[in-house]
Order: sequence, then C-alpha cells, then structure tokens
Amino acid sequence: MIEVEHLSKSYGSTLAIEDVTFAVEPGEILGLLGPNGAGKTTTMRILTGYLPASSGSAKVAGFEVHEDSMAVRQRIGYLPENPPLYPEMSVEGFLAFVARIKGVSAGDRPQRVEQALAQCGLSDRRKTLIRKLSKGYRQRVGIAQAIVHDPPVIVLDEPTIGLDPRQIIEVRHLIKSLAGNHTVILSTHILPEVSMTCSRVAIINQGRVVATNAPDALMNQLTGGTGYELEVEGEMNNLLPLLQKLPGVLSVESSTMPRIAARSRLRVLAQPGIEIGHTLATTIVGAGLGLYEMRRLSATLEDVFLQLTREEQTSDFQMETSENSGSTAESTIGEQS
Amino acid sequence: MRIVLSNILAIYRRELQSYFASPLASIVAGVFWLLAGFFFVNLLNAFNLEVLRADSLGNTTPLDVPYQFLQSFLGVLSSVALFLLPILSMGLYAEERKCGTLELLATSPVTNWAVALGKLLAVVTFFLTMVLPLLLYEAIAFSATTPPMNFGVVFLGHMGLVLLAAAVLSLGMFISSLTDSTILAAVFTFGLVIFLWVIDLLGQRLGGPLGSALGHLSLLKHFGNLSQGIVDSSSLVLFGSYIVLGLFLTAQSVDAFRFQRS
Repeated sequence: MIEVEHLSKSYGSTLAIEDVTFAVEPGEILGLLGPNGAGKTTTMRILTGYLPASSGSAKVAGFEVHEDSMAVRQRIGYLPENPPLYPEMSVEGFLAFVARIKGVSAGDRPQRVEQALAQCGLSDRRKTLIRKLSKGYRQRVGIAQAIVHDPPVIVLDEPTIGLDPRQIIEVRHLIKSLAGNHTVILSTHILPEVSMTCSRVAIINQGRVVATNAPDALMNQLTGGTGYELEVEGEMNNLLPLLQKLPGVLSVESSTMPRIAARSRLRVLAQPGIEIGHTLATTIVGAGLGLYEMRRLSATLEDVFLQLTREEQTSDFQMETSENSGSTAESTIGEQS
Repeated sequence: MRIVLSNILAIYRRELQSYFASPLASIVAGVFWLLAGFFFVNLLNAFNLEVLRADSLGNTTPLDVPYQFLQSFLGVLSSVALFLLPILSMGLYAEERKCGTLELLATSPVTNWAVALGKLLAVVTFFLTMVLPLLLYEAIAFSATTPPMNFGVVFLGHMGLVLLAAAVLSLGMFISSLTDSTILAAVFTFGLVIFLWVIDLLGQRLGGPLGSALGHLSLLKHFGNLSQGIVDSSSLVLFGSYIVLGLFLTAQSVDAFRFQRS
C-alpha cells in the first residue's frame, strides 16, 4: 500500500532523512519510532505530498506522491503534529468542510461525517465550536478529519501527544479499530505505544531507518540472550561457582537484599538460544537452598530502541540514553548481549 | 472542472462564514458604516451650502450637484476603505499558517489557485456586503434629484470601488501568505496602500513619460475614472491584472513556503 524507496530530504545543507526505505502492506499499522528530530515528521510530510523529497520515491496506493499528488491526497488522511482546526467552526461544520474538499460526494457526506463523529466519540459535541473544546477533544477532531473521507491510507503524526492517560487508551483503541480496512502509519516517541498498537515498527534515528520488524520479533532478534532474576535464601558462596559452570550461562551477579539479610538477589544471563530455566531451578533446589522468586528477564522495546539508536549518536542523545539505561534495570541485558 | 468549482465554493463558504463569525470583521464593517454615514451627511450639507451661496451670489453657471456629490462621496469611501482593507485581508493566509490548517489544505486534493480564488471571492463578498447598505441611503438622496440621476454612473462608481478593493485585497492576500503574523500582514498591506497613493501622486506631479506611465499603473487614477462614469477597457484590464497578479503570487508563495520550510 505504501512503498518508500531510498527517500532523502535535505533542508539546505542539513540532511533530515537519508535513504529511508520501507513498505507497508494493506491493513497494517506501522509505527515510526524515533527520538525527537529523527525525521519522522519529514517522512510523513513527504508521504502526504506536503513536502517534496530531495531524492528517492514514495508511492501511496500505487501513485507516486509527487507526480500524482492529487490522486494521493484523495486517498490519504493526515493528522499533522498540531491538529489543523478552524477555531471558529463547529465540529460538525468542520468535518463537513473537510469531507467536501477531500472529494466526498454530496450524497455520502452526511453519513461519512456521522460515522467519523461516532468513531471518535464526538457525537455529543457536534455543535460545539472547536475553540471551546479541550485539548483531548481537539485531538479527536484532528483524527476525525483524517478519517472522514474513509481514506485507504491514514497518516497520524504523534496522535496521542498531549492527552491524558484515559484518552490515550481511547485513541489507541480507535487506531487499532482502523486497522484491517485502512493502512495506518503513526509516529511516536513513546515506546509502549508501538508495542500496543502497531503490527510493525520502523525505528528511525538521525534520518535513517535502523530496523524494521514486528515489535516482538524486533525484541527477540536484537536482544538475543535471555536471563532470569532469582531470589534465593541460603549460603551463596557455594552456589555461585555451581551456577557459573552450568551450560549456557554467561554471567551471574549477586546482591544482598536490603531488608532480608539471609536472602540474595541473583541475575543470571544466558547465551542466546539456550534455555537455562530448568537446570537453573534444579541446581538451586538441589543445593538445598530456598528459591522464593524466579522471573524471566525479557527485553523491552526500550532496550531495542536504546541499543539501535546508540550506535550513531549525537552528544545530546547520548546523554539521554545513558540516563535512561541507568534507570531501567532490564536494559543491562541489552548492554551485555 | 466541476470538482474545482466545488472546491472553490467550499473554500469560499468556509471563509465567508468565518468573516461573519469574526468580531474584528464586524468592527471593521461598523467603522466603515459609521464613517460613511458621517461623510454622507457632511458632504450633503456642504453641497447644500455651496448651492445656496452660488444662488445668493447670483451665479447662474449650471452645477451638476448630484454628479459631483457622488464623486466626492466615492472618493471619501475609497479612502476609508483603503484604510480598512488591510484588516480584512491580513488573516487570509496568516491565520491558516498559524493554526496549521494550511497543512490540511495543502494535503487535500485542492489546488493552490482554487484556495486563493475562493478566499479572495469570500473577502470581496464581505466587502460587497459592507458597500450594499450605503446604496440604500444614496438611493433616497438621488431619488429627489431633477433631472433623475443616471443610475449607470452610480453603478459604475460603486463597481469601481469594489474593483479597487478587490485589487488591494488580492495583493493583501499575497502579503498575508508571506507571514504567520496577522499584525505584520496588516502593517505591510497598509504600506502597500500608501505606496499606491504615492504612485498616484507621483503620476500627477511628475508629468512626462514617467509620470504618464505611473498614471497608467495607478489603481486610484483608474478608480477615479470609473467613479466619473468613464468606462475605459484599460481600466478594467488594469484592475483584472492586479487581481490576477495577487492570486498568482499567492499560489506561488504557498508553494514556495512548502518547498523551503524546515
């Protein structure tokens, strides 16, 4: 549905995106994930025909975005970073206006507006002037204007920004409900959002796509090894060498627990592809120690993201990532694997 | 073609609706009506006095009072309008840029030309609604004239006023498309209006080929001709050219804005 090939865009001498290539199948939700200023908005603006690319090509529904601009514009719904709203119009009037300039026929217009209102939970605010709406409602009107003409492709630039947690959940449900009939691209710098809503992720950093895959596959592929966190009671000194000798174990770290003196917390990391859970448990129990907790360490998308974006970094971003990796316990796995 | 017309109409209706909902536009209309009414009464009294004085001096040269009154009144109206027009045109694009709605228009299947034309038609329509009520009291005054007033002259004069306004609004729209500050747009458009006055004055003062060239380009001179009931195709062409120039520059500037923005 969307094919982007070797897309580059420069503003003067600064390169906003460089050699971006990805494809989105019909019905998919693709998440563009990247730090601020990575080139997500630029990519989306090129897709919607708002900006011309410096080189490369982008096709939406089979039409080249620059050459067949009008055909593409008709088939695309776009929510820019700041929802484009006329403050003096009513919600309903605004949606009718958008439906009209997007080329919805006069007969279908009332029904399309009605459906967009219902889908975005705006039915009870239809007569309200947009300038009187709260931020959350404005964002919903922004999404409604992107879907009012029932476009096959929907592009959403940071759709959940500035919303409260409940509204974020609602918007995510809405986006999920669009999949299947529509192809959706959304950008975000919020990691859980991608794993919750998207069927595929493209991670962008410094204008380049550094990885594209399903969120789960991305996590498995890049973190490689697995590990366990254990809470053990008893004498550690004999246990640790034992564990170290187990096949597949890479490293064992132990730390005493602050409140219960007799117990220790262990972090055991394994080589990729080797499952150590069973032998680990048997060894500990066999040594006569008490096993109180055993938890699998799974890498989060955050680790993947940090790992990928760390490779080419600017000083600003470096600071940000090192702060983050210090604060999240799980990310050590990413560092060591 | 039908789609283009439908798009122009959609933009036109939205824009016109926002003018009628805008308090600022109402204030502009209110000020315009207040000043127009004030000068109407004033001029009427002034002409009355002049006629009385001419009579008392025993002056028998015929004086076409309604005709001269119409000219003076239209002259005053054009000056008042030129002061107020920048306020009407300032938001046309600056507001869209500020609200981010230009991004919506630019990613909709609507050409820049259609958007610019729809907007210009809307603001000219709003100006028309400002001028139309004046015709009511002009009609009352002119209905008392003997011999009856030539209504062709009245019509041409007002058409000239609307054409002058359309030309200034078209250029004002272009200026509005260059910035996202409405104040800046208004200030620069006002600068343009003063520039038009200067051109007109220079055209009258300089004489020679340069003076006549400036005179030919002067919107105010051609408006003066129309207000006297003189229809010259070159006047109409000139007004048309200014209007098309404004539309063209607007469409180009919106494109350029997208190409160069960072």
